[in-house]
Amino acid sequence: MILYEYEGKKLLKDAGIDVPDAILIDSIAALQNDTLENRLLRFTRNDKVVLKAQVLSGKRADAGGIIRIKNKELRIKEELEKLFSKTINKEKVEKILVEEMVEYEGPEYYLSISYDTDSRGPVLTISSSGGTGIEEKEVKTYSIDPVTITCTIVHHIVPKEIIDKLMNLFFEQDMLLLEINPLVRGKDGKWIALDAKIKLEDNAAGRHKDWNFPPRSAPGHSATKNEIEAKKIDEGDYRGVAGSTYFDLDGDIAILASGGGASLTAMDALQKCGGKPANYTEYGGNPPREKVEKLTRVVLDKPGIHGLWVVGAVANFTDIYETLSGFVEGLRNLRKSGMKIDFPIVIRRGGPRDKEAFEMLKKVKDFDLHIYGEETSIAESAKIMAEEAKKYATST
Amino acid sequence: MLLLPEGAKLIGQGITGSEGTRALEWSQAYGTQIVAGVTPGKGGLTHLGVPIFNTVKEALDGIGKVDGSVQFVPPLFTKAAVLEALDARIKWVLIGAEKVPTKDSAIIYAKAKEMGTSVIGPSSVGIICPSRKLKIGTIAGGAPERVFPKGNVAIISKSGGMTSEIGLHLKNNGFGVSWAVGIGGDRIICSDYVDLLMEFENDPETKATVIFGELGGTYEERVAKFVKSGKIKKPVIVFIAGEFTLNLPNDVQFGHAGAIIEGDRGLPDKKREVLRQAGVKVADNLDEIPKLVKQVI
Repeated sequence: MILYEYEGKKLLKDAGIDVPDAILIDSIAALQNDTLENRLLRFTRNDKVVLKAQVLSGKRADAGGIIRIKNKELRIKEELEKLFSKTINKEKVEKILVEEMVEYEGPEYYLSISYDTDSRGPVLTISSSGGTGIEEKEVKTYSIDPVTITCTIVHHIVPKEIIDKLMNLFFEQDMLLLEINPLVRGKDGKWIALDAKIKLEDNAAGRHKDWNFPPRSAPGHSATKNEIEAKKIDEGDYRGVAGSTYFDLDGDIAILASGGGASLTAMDALQKCGGKPANYTEYGGNPPREKVEKLTRVVLDKPGIHGLWVVGAVANFTDIYETLSGFVEGLRNLRKSGMKIDFPIVIRRGGPRDKEAFEMLKKVKDFDLHIYGEETSIAESAKIMAEEAKKYATST
Repeated sequence: MLLLPEGAKLIGQGITGSEGTRALEWSQAYGTQIVAGVTPGKGGLTHLGVPIFNTVKEALDGIGKVDGSVQFVPPLFTKAAVLEALDARIKWVLIGAEKVPTKDSAIIYAKAKEMGTSVIGPSSVGIICPSRKLKIGTIAGGAPERVFPKGNVAIISKSGGMTSEIGLHLKNNGFGVSWAVGIGGDRIICSDYVDLLMEFENDPETKATVIFGELGGTYEERVAKFVKSGKIKKPVIVFIAGEFTLNLPNDVQFGHAGAIIEGDRGLPDKKREVLRQAGVKVADNLDEIPKLVKQVI
């Protein structure tokens, strides 16, 4: 989960890293609050403030998400209203952080801690030329020993004390990314983090009862209704996964894929033969049939579907009979609720109990099922699916 | 040493759970020797004929030296279980759990490296070697011969399902496997493609290796580097999935934890390009793999 700047800065502050004085305005309605104006005028002695739209995507400044105000008395409320009406990189502005404008001299430093697949461990990345466009600038990377939480960096103008605090915070909070860009030295000599991008590891949520962050979508993306529904399926049920990754796409072929790698392979194959997926999602790790039943209902819950592709590799331990039984239950429940399901459904699957699953599917006569096992490759079934969907689209 | 010898003896940590039990039955049926189990609180029981102990140390005191440990411990307990095995001087570990936090994997990798222990995973579907009757983990479920007949092609895959899928494609074209290994699709994997390819260089049964890769990380790029520098001489055939994700939001994880594009790192196209330049055969379509294998064997 990626944190909003204000959430990340709170973690930094709690860890003893200085951040600018700030007020969070958590909704446009809060602008009507009588005490707000007073608070805005008093939270810092500084007359200069920065309004920062709280969105997850980067390059926020370029998209107009950051507004600097030299005299806050004059136009702060008006500017806040304007900023609340904006959409920054496809994200609606729902919260704004009002911060004192920190005065500093000297360079803007970029500092991050993350995991690197080259060294297969955590690394510290640091540069004396932070700011926007950091991707193109020269950076130095140092390994961190995850056992002792020490870094190979020897001497740097950024004090060791700050680096140590950040490393400890990174590990204590099971972060995947801790990025400060920029880190500056204020006129009073204090180091201060002007921005914070933090990504927490979802897999570690079970040992962080203190994490109370509301659900959110990917950066630069507003979650659709189906995406929100799909995510709910795994909540509180650790048996396998179903729908944790779900995206709506523009096509007309609904996708119910199995397995991380196989789902990617299947999507690539479908696109190659001209099929247009209506979504991406996958289930795997031997989920119970109820999860597949729910995910079936989610993927078909949209107009303009011309086909459904149920696709996976030869599974190792996912029970094919159980999962496909859940799928058929999902279809029947949808029909009971009044949905018309007469489009072609192409199934390609193999694995434990697949013979029983195919026997069960053969008896299903009330849907247009096209059943294939391991003798038909994923790519071949992609072609069949694309053709069947085309036929259906032209016939209706 | 990642490639265990024939007759290797293993302990199973967490084999009394439901997934561990299924895998244990399948391993036993294949002829793999799981000689003891470890589940805290269940010491003294016998599970499918296997004596269960409370700790790894007690197990080794009870049954003597073993060649490795296979783990079916839940993700948040995996680190402690692996470190227990390392402390007991076990030299080979396979981690089956998915969703192990990256911090824990980093610690496991660092400790294992320090102690010279071979670790496969996390998120490994398992390893199978038909000629040595080794089947460790859940790989190929209860019907291994269906996708992995004995042969001379090795498979290394980030995806469990695709390990079997590739095995099936090979089998349908008359090839069998020397080894098939699921290395897991996490950000930090304790054994990557290169670690295994380097051992296949000295494995007389392996004539070529098929790799399933996907978007994210740099493990595929490392293969290119090693092939280019001549350290890996046996032929390598690669398939890389994840093209379609380019139309989707950046910074999203697809299925596996390591399947994520951050900035311009991890793009499937770039991976193919560096691999091709290094002389690796790249399959554009999964169905092409057997044809490419035929060209090199």
